[in-house]
Amino acid sequence: MAAALGSISEIEHELGAQRVDPETGQPIQRTSVMTHVAWVPEAWVEAAEDVLAGLAERHPSRTIVLFPEPKQDDSLIGNVEVDRYAAGEGRQICTETIRLRLRGNRVQAPASVIEPLLLPDLPVFLRWRGLPPFGEQPFEQMVRTVDRLIVDSTEWPGLPEPYEQLAEIFDRVVVSDIAWARTSRWRLQLASLWPGIAEVSRIKVTGTEAQANLLAGWLRSRLGSEIELEHEAADKLTGVEVDGEATAFPPGAAPDPADLLSDELERFTRDRIYEDAVKATRM
Amino acid sequence: MTETVQPELQHENPLMEGLKLRRAPDPCALVIFGASGDLTKRKLFPALYSLALRKLLPSRFGVVGAARTEETDDDFRERMKAGVQEFGRDPFNQETWDWLAERMRYVALDFADETGQLEIVKVLNELDDKQGTSGNRLYYLAVPPSAIATIVKEVGEHRSTDGWTRLIVEKPFGRDLESAKALNAELLENFNESEIFRIDHYLGKETVQNLLALRFANGIFEPIWNRQFVDHVQITVAESIGIEGRAAFYEQAGAIRDVFQNHMLQLVALTAMEPPIDFTADSVRNEKVKVLRAMHTPGPKHVVRGQYGRGYVEGEEVPAYREEPGVDPNSLTETYVSAKLYVDNWRWADTPFYVRAGKRLARRETTIAIEFKRAPHPPFEDVGEGDLQPNVLVCHIQPDEGVSLEFAAKVPGQGLTLRTVHMDFLYGGAFRTGIPEAYERLILDCLLGDATLFTRADEVEEQWSLVDTIVAFWKRDRPAFPNYEAGTWGPSGADDLMRRDGRAWRRH
Ligand SMILES: NC(=O)c1ccc[n+]([C@@H]2O[C@H](COP(=O)([O-])OP(=O)(O)OC[C@H]3O[C@@H](n4cnc5c(N)ncnc54)[C@H](OP(=O)(O)O)[C@@H]3O)[C@@H](O)[C@H]2O)c1
Repeated sequence: MAAALGSISEIEHELGAQRVDPETGQPIQRTSVMTHVAWVPEAWVEAAEDVLAGLAERHPSRTIVLFPEPKQDDSLIGNVEVDRYAAGEGRQICTETIRLRLRGNRVQAPASVIEPLLLPDLPVFLRWRGLPPFGEQPFEQMVRTVDRLIVDSTEWPGLPEPYEQLAEIFDRVVVSDIAWARTSRWRLQLASLWPGIAEVSRIKVTGTEAQANLLAGWLRSRLGSEIELEHEAADKLTGVEVDGEATAFPPGAAPDPADLLSDELERFTRDRIYEDAVKATRM
Repeated sequence: MTETVQPELQHENPLMEGLKLRRAPDPCALVIFGASGDLTKRKLFPALYSLALRKLLPSRFGVVGAARTEETDDDFRERMKAGVQEFGRDPFNQETWDWLAERMRYVALDFADETGQLEIVKVLNELDDKQGTSGNRLYYLAVPPSAIATIVKEVGEHRSTDGWTRLIVEKPFGRDLESAKALNAELLENFNESEIFRIDHYLGKETVQNLLALRFANGIFEPIWNRQFVDHVQITVAESIGIEGRAAFYEQAGAIRDVFQNHMLQLVALTAMEPPIDFTADSVRNEKVKVLRAMHTPGPKHVVRGQYGRGYVEGEEVPAYREEPGVDPNSLTETYVSAKLYVDNWRWADTPFYVRAGKRLARRETTIAIEFKRAPHPPFEDVGEGDLQPNVLVCHIQPDEGVSLEFAAKVPGQGLTLRTVHMDFLYGGAFRTGIPEAYERLILDCLLGDATLFTRADEVEEQWSLVDTIVAFWKRDRPAFPNYEAGTWGPSGADDLMRRDGRAWRRH
């Protein structure tokens, strides 16, 4: 592993040094479309690294992974990796990953750490692992700096309450929810039940808490009616009953986590349907 | 093939034909006034050492350090060696250092006292004898502006009659038009314009020179480098650091004198200038002066000043400008300035140049961005709101060096979704050890007598007259400082400046 870097200028210097082809000594031409920032508290480190590995090839970009470690003494510890992937005949994609440990008080102002490292003029996506600390300074600052916030509400405890706080930031930043993306096949399936589904009053969802809440919120907001939700816990969305009747399993395979994130990174605009669903998660 | 031999070469060494001649500087002695100061240790000696390592200094060479502080030759050598080891870009090589150290002397003197000058003359004569520096003299004035007049007068009166004499003057060059004119007059009393080298170290940077190469050596850019194709230009000289203990200097200067008057206006001139007929000092400087003359004086509405309050930089809380040691708690000194400038000529009429410079901004960055006009009617349906950006050509000067281009490309897959792609060629990494420090280039150019990268008297005066008008209307009101948080992109007024024109500063 490369030596730890203690300041932004050391990180910039190291990126420059690594952007050279070791064989030819020539600089690598870099093509980028966005900066991807990930906020990864300790509990999520492993899962986050798996997803990152699957992401690089589809999004030639810079990824900045922030590891908050508030209990340590104040410091900034970074390291940098420039990876190259073959992308067809004689072509290479280069992605840069910057990992930063924000220790002690450095956790308080993460936006000022990432700002110097954002790629100029390109959109910034923030993937926040776990439940964001809504209303607290580090999170609010980050929301102001980025264009799109990507969460996975499956990771949140105590649903549906946090959806209320999430809804409050919709006017400030565009939000994507991977849990929502995971329901897309089922939404299509449920939509195919129209018009019969128009009068639905009760659904039972077997899946994660987030999926159950979002599907219920979606139906309520789309159909403009009160719909009761019964939830049966499962790791994956495996069944939806509409007024006691099971819906057929949707075709195709469920997408993997890297693909889901990847799809969200391709969106730029507000998803009003999702926003309405979130607002209707509580009856 | 004999016909092609040029007549004047026939008398010279026939074996040299076809070999590339590297211009070697004449033998000479360099005198540094202010040798006990920060610049000498941090920049000048590391630069001299790197030049020595590459055998770019003349073999017959000597350096005399001069300042009021008492110091022996050996103390001076030790201190400079430490400077080279700490601040140099090359690994330390004892042999090279010994070569340089042998040619170093130190003279402690009071600048106002004639005996001091006579002591320097004596040491210089000794160097002429011992190192064969043959009467050529380069004087480097690394002293505060207040000390310049005395030194210039003393040096002028004791100048060598053998060989050439040149004078390097550090920035700041005056603090307004009047003082700059007075300083020019003092210099011209004992020296010719061709002997005076006014430093703006930005001009010594590779990428700044590369801007000229990019513009004038590539056929594809020059035809579109004008009002027909360019929507506007944005120049950013941003620092994330504060004033680093230099309160006394900064309180007097502010962003407008520290950066705008010199670096910023140089970057505007280099971006806007017409192709010079050749790359001689006067051709290039003539073109730059024409740009400065063609510049409108911006009205008060087109200039925004700012001063930083508390904030966060790299995750750490930093004090407000007014809380920095040595700064007046009610200081009205600006740490940020942005402006909308117009170069009123055929090439650029009605094309705004938006410029901004400041301290404690979100990141360290010096860039020149040429934003081209948008495609008139993109025939694509799936283009999301705000997805499609205009093409931007960005010249990066700091911290990365290189060029990048932003353009729209299709996202792989079905449909015709477009997305802005940023393609860059940042050669900083590749040539990092190879990129000379600005001071190396400038000292070498001066030894060679090439003034292209130095500022001419009329150029400095044009710069100051623009600054003077801005400062004059600033005097009429009291700004509500601080007006931006440290670690952000400056005051909201700067955003309004762009928004009024339906534009925005480049992000990040
Ligand atoms: N440092 C930089 O990175 C930098 C960058 C750009 C431009 N400059 C310019 O370069 C010049 C020198 O800068 P510096 O940073 O080296 O300054 P410094 O550290 O304050 O050194 C000033 C030098 O001038 C001498 N000096 C002569 N007359 C003086 C006087 N009346 N009052 C105070 N000192 C006097 C001092 O030596 P004695 O007290 O022993 O005589 C000292 O060697 C300045 O004009 C500065 O604006 C510096």
